[in-house]
Amino acid sequence: MDISSRRKFLTVSLAALATAAGGATLYPLFRYLAPSRSAESGQKITLQLADIPEGGAKYFELNGTAAVLVKSKSGSLAAFSAVCTHLGCIVQWQKGQDQFLCPCHGGLFSVAGAVLAGPPPKPLEKLPFVVSGDSIVVG
Amino acid sequence: MPFLKKIYRWLNVRIGADEILEQELTGYRLPANINGWYSLGSVLLFALALQVVSGILLLVYYVPDADKAFASVTAIMNQVPFGWLIRMCHAVGSNLMVLVLILHMLSVLFMGSYKRPRELSWLSGFMLLNLVMAISLTGYLLPWSQLSFWATTVATNSFGAIPVVGGFLVEFLRGGKLVGPQTLGRFFALHVALIPLGIGALVGLHLFLLKRVGVSAPPFGLSDTGNQWQGDRYRYEDHPDGIPFFPNFVVKDLISICLYLAFLLLVVFFNPFIFFPKDAFIPANPFQTPAHIKPEWYFLANYQTLKIFPSELLGLTAQGVAMTFLALLPFIDRGRERHPLKRPLFLACSIGGIAVWIGLTIWGHYS
Repeated sequence: MDISSRRKFLTVSLAALATAAGGATLYPLFRYLAPSRSAESGQKITLQLADIPEGGAKYFELNGTAAVLVKSKSGSLAAFSAVCTHLGCIVQWQKGQDQFLCPCHGGLFSVAGAVLAGPPPKPLEKLPFVVSGDSIVVG
Repeated sequence: MPFLKKIYRWLNVRIGADEILEQELTGYRLPANINGWYSLGSVLLFALALQVVSGILLLVYYVPDADKAFASVTAIMNQVPFGWLIRMCHAVGSNLMVLVLILHMLSVLFMGSYKRPRELSWLSGFMLLNLVMAISLTGYLLPWSQLSFWATTVATNSFGAIPVVGGFLVEFLRGGKLVGPQTLGRFFALHVALIPLGIGALVGLHLFLLKRVGVSAPPFGLSDTGNQWQGDRYRYEDHPDGIPFFPNFVVKDLISICLYLAFLLLVVFFNPFIFFPKDAFIPANPFQTPAHIKPEWYFLANYQTLKIFPSELLGLTAQGVAMTFLALLPFIDRGRERHPLKRPLFLACSIGGIAVWIGLTIWGHYS
């Protein structure tokens, strides 16, 4: 083995070692800083029907994000992600008008989550729910 | 590679990178008989960087609130992925840093490198030792365990022996009559902000002095082992026939850093709780003092000194005298000779001093 190939072998070996050491350092660092996923998926939450007045809304946290359950004046129920599809502000329920208003840029959503006015590009994300007796399970 | 070379050339024509590299790396000459003990400074810089990085990472999950601190540390250890690794590196690293700092000081002491014109380097190093011990003491309270709580109670209580202002000083340190949530806030601010700033400033001063005064040659293997400093004017101690800093000494530095890292990981992986007695795993209870509460190993000699003197004031005075003597050593020991074997009085005193310190530490551990 001549000197240049020996030097090349040592350089490559050192680079491989340094890469392995870098990986062994960066992987735990990434895992340490990455947000925990296990607690933020597949969560279900049980709410009492009596807690939501006619034409009112109840906000709660689901899978690490804000959600809302509304009961319209007609008595129908709907659950949505409360995160505005424009820039991520939390939409506010307008009790008298049966609609959501995003206070950041004036986006308006209907009681069914559809965009009525303003900059939001998409309707609010609907969340599945099941009514059983006096309670509602969302998620 | 050609792209990297292009970037380097772009920088070089603007800031003269070639000249800086020549001056600071290949052209920076160190004594030809330099030894591995001289790399302890680099090991300390690496250890400090590791403490800063792991400390910042711990801040992501640690909650400095007396009601939540213990739970947050428990969560870091048991729930956060690799949280145990980060915390253990920080906790074990702080102990090893004190150990390396003491070894660095001893090497400077035995090779006579503290002698003039390096009095300021010694003083800044001595202050760094005190600050590192202070940052360790303040960090000890943060997990809010029984060990943290009562070790801090005992440590802060010893200031009460100072005449006239002692009582006020204890209350001022604790933020109240007893150690409590207000103490945690104070120690947290000291641990993560004030003391790190002081350490950063002193490390900067220490390195500045090293660059201005130059590296002292070890007194081994030389015919004349006396201090060459004239004292008439400023002179940089250069070593034109010495070895270049890069690559020769950088390799030595890297070997020492790898050995340090290997030792740190050996403790972290195989005996992580060597520095954690069982009281470190019980949340702080201000109404229940555990039996046999002991400080960290590097405070055991101080702890035992306070116990063997008939009054705490005498114990504190003895420690104060010893520390002042050590701080002013370059101004007291003004002899030219640097070789330890040619300084019998120095050798006897220093070996005696180390033996007393180790003896008190062991006594403190078993008392």
